[in-house]
Amino acid sequence: MKRKKIDMKRFLIILALSAVVSSCNRSEETFEGPDLVDIYGEFGIIQDFGVSAESVDFSSGSTVYFTAEFTKLTDWQISITHPTSGSVKIIEGRSRTLNASNASWDGTTTIFPVFETGNCIAELYISDDSSTHTVSLNVTGTRNLDGTVISDFETAIDPNWTLFVQSGANMSFRTDNQLTAPVGAKYFDMGGEVNWDWLIGLFDVPGTAVGNDGFNLTSNPDDLYFNVVMYRPDTLPNGFVLFRFSEDEDGDGNFNESSEDQYAVEVRDFKQGWNIVSIKYSDLQFLVDGVPADPNGNGVKNPDRLHTVSCLFLADPNSGYAQVLMDYMVFTNGQPLKL
Amino acid sequence: MKKTLILLITLLAIDLAAQAQQRKVWASGAARSIFLQNELDAGDDSITSRKLNSGHALVDLAVNAKPNEQTYLHAMVRIRNDFGGFWGSGITFDMRQLYLKGLVKDAVRYQLGDINYRLTPYTFFNHDEELSAHRSEALDIYREITRYDLFYTDDNTWRQQGAAVDFGLDFPGYVHGMEFNFFAFRNRPTDFGGQSERIFFGGNAALQTQHFTVAGNYVDLLDLVGTSNNDQSLHNPVATANVEVDHEVNDMTFAFRSESGISQMYTLEDPSSTTLRDYFYDVKLVLEKGKNMSVGLNYLNIGSDFRSVGAQNKRVNYEAQNLLYTRIGNEQVVRPLTQLDLIQDVSFYRQQLRPGLQAYAPQFDNIMPYGTATPNRKGLVANATYQTSNELVKAEASYKMLSEVVGQGTEDLRNFNAIDFKLDLGLDTLLPSWNKDLELSLGVITQQTTRETTPMEGNIDLSSLILDLGLKVELIENLDLVGNYRVINSEGNELLAMRDVYTEVVDFQEFSTNMEQNMLTLALRYHFDDQNALNAVWQNLNFKDSATDVPEYSVQQFGIVYSMRF
Repeated sequence: MKRKKIDMKRFLIILALSAVVSSCNRSEETFEGPDLVDIYGEFGIIQDFGVSAESVDFSSGSTVYFTAEFTKLTDWQISITHPTSGSVKIIEGRSRTLNASNASWDGTTTIFPVFETGNCIAELYISDDSSTHTVSLNVTGTRNLDGTVISDFETAIDPNWTLFVQSGANMSFRTDNQLTAPVGAKYFDMGGEVNWDWLIGLFDVPGTAVGNDGFNLTSNPDDLYFNVVMYRPDTLPNGFVLFRFSEDEDGDGNFNESSEDQYAVEVRDFKQGWNIVSIKYSDLQFLVDGVPADPNGNGVKNPDRLHTVSCLFLADPNSGYAQVLMDYMVFTNGQPLKL
Repeated sequence: MKKTLILLITLLAIDLAAQAQQRKVWASGAARSIFLQNELDAGDDSITSRKLNSGHALVDLAVNAKPNEQTYLHAMVRIRNDFGGFWGSGITFDMRQLYLKGLVKDAVRYQLGDINYRLTPYTFFNHDEELSAHRSEALDIYREITRYDLFYTDDNTWRQQGAAVDFGLDFPGYVHGMEFNFFAFRNRPTDFGGQSERIFFGGNAALQTQHFTVAGNYVDLLDLVGTSNNDQSLHNPVATANVEVDHEVNDMTFAFRSESGISQMYTLEDPSSTTLRDYFYDVKLVLEKGKNMSVGLNYLNIGSDFRSVGAQNKRVNYEAQNLLYTRIGNEQVVRPLTQLDLIQDVSFYRQQLRPGLQAYAPQFDNIMPYGTATPNRKGLVANATYQTSNELVKAEASYKMLSEVVGQGTEDLRNFNAIDFKLDLGLDTLLPSWNKDLELSLGVITQQTTRETTPMEGNIDLSSLILDLGLKVELIENLDLVGNYRVINSEGNELLAMRDVYTEVVDFQEFSTNMEQNMLTLALRYHFDDQNALNAVWQNLNFKDSATDVPEYSVQQFGIVYSMRF
């Protein structure tokens, strides 16, 4: 029987081609999708709840972090409470471990007032077994607050401000301390009922009332945030606040409404309790009756030429009594205010 | 409008008849009429209507034109009348297909319009739907209608719209020639808003000698930036290489077949998108003895991130709902897709290629749900065929012994085992005095999926059995009795991968089944000629699945089916 020999050259070509195409990298992941242990595994604590330091001085920029390790991915929440002031910081997440990347505390506050020095209790709640675990932590120094403070409302209204209050019913444009202030002891209370006008009251803060050099802000509107801590009672949802930022573009020491820019923002959405409202200066708009329009000046946001910050408290005249509280009005650079 | 259309078509038909003698323009087409009567028995179900009647008649009328020897034009319209739409109110007119093809300088073939196309099983391939491995004439009565309507063909082409070109080069000497094929299809039009135009294009080049072929294939699905307001652009390039070697010794042929390649899937300008890259290889050794026997053994390894839209697209949309008895029982639960629906309900099927790994039915096929290019599979596949020269016996068998390449949710891998056996017996060959058809067929598919892991909730044990028995008896000349009995059992559990829009696994869905469904089909078929038949078909489907809240039920269906092609 005559047999043909197989050409070895052909097979070498085949092998070479196959090797070239097959020599590709494959992902090094060991499995696809979420770990089954995280879905079905039994929950257990490998490392108990702990803290990286027994005391921390936030005024020096220090931070502290919490530690723990679990057998599976789990939802957790850490609540740090100052027993006397009632300040609370909440950190939550879903992970197998607590560490510096997901459970750090820089001294900021979730539920105001801001933290004071003293002993705090940190409580870890784990949803998988509904267990709680606690550690104590001594705060020896609180955070230093940066930024250009317009007002912390700790004293009476600055006489350099322009204050206008309608002659309505139950008008209260004053500093107060009936509720716990988020920062310091006092806050500013704006309240009243004006049944013929949307405007209940306003105040203007000229730059000259803040410092000799005015507000002395950066020229970069993308790097500047206007911040204020606000509170609206849940039972009075009708009030809202319009902030205006008037620029002295020609540097004549005055703001001319017809030829210079005035940017604004309306704050209508309030969360429960005291909350920080932060607005990037570059997100401000020129508003006419609440609708964005072309500004009257150069159309360029120039925070370094800010002349006056105005706060107008408004409500539907048919909606009855309205009230909004505010505290700690401040410009910050680079990031929103953290308290 | 409809009267005008009917008049135009009539005039066209007269004109075509007049021109038919020159054969420059002629008519062709198909027609059918179906009437179905269904009866549901779902125990104490007092809500669902038990009896349903439906039917339609339709004509596909095509104009074929050949203005010169190199050009051919085909245009087909469909006129359909659903029974119950009297006086023309139920009539619809649709353009069914339109294409032009020709030959340039006797060298370059081209086609424009509707095109049936395929490349390789890993690049562009319309893999068969579930439960279609075993063919029998009884089941084909409805299945052929479905496939005709959807343009599904036995050579696994996808019907697309666009352009295709192919040409070849002949060489003297050792290298016989080279062939080139290129195509570009419009996969999706823009909506001028957030959805860009999507195209699917590619081609291949093959070099051939007498015993050796090497080919390179490339396909890509991509969104054309600039055709909408959306800057994001999906890409799914796939490049593969084929190598084939044949070596003949007397009546024995040894063959080596391989395809290997790489794929990527990513979305440009989408910060949430990750790039999926992976490769596959599939090598096969085949030994053929004459035309009567062959054995083959191949090893495949397809990465878990291998994505090929043109090859992994599923025909069946398992997320769709039945048109027939959509909900049943007093609780009106959604009736799951069964073998009866799969054969005859066109609305379950896709014709458009879509990115993503679509839902599948593990009770029907849990091993290669996305065809040959199913990602995350590796292992051996052995197969053998045998047939006698007198057509008494024709047998095929295959055994798959596969596993995952990487696990899902665990490093432990699923193991897959599947046996597929088919046997056709031409019993009439044993009866010299019986000069009519007498054929029996048997088909068995068993599948087993297992995984043992920790935690034990991740254990998987799913098995299924599909058994087919077919019969064809020619009673008198041109009149056949055909029948089929199919049982499908599926039992066990699976954890189905839930994928995000980027086809990455993000969660698992528990699936359990204890299903048994069987269907008996009996039909009388009268052939007027090879392309013209009248069928009376009776079917009875029984279904139960104690692992779900679907009530046990049965459906009887009687149908009159007339079909012809001309």
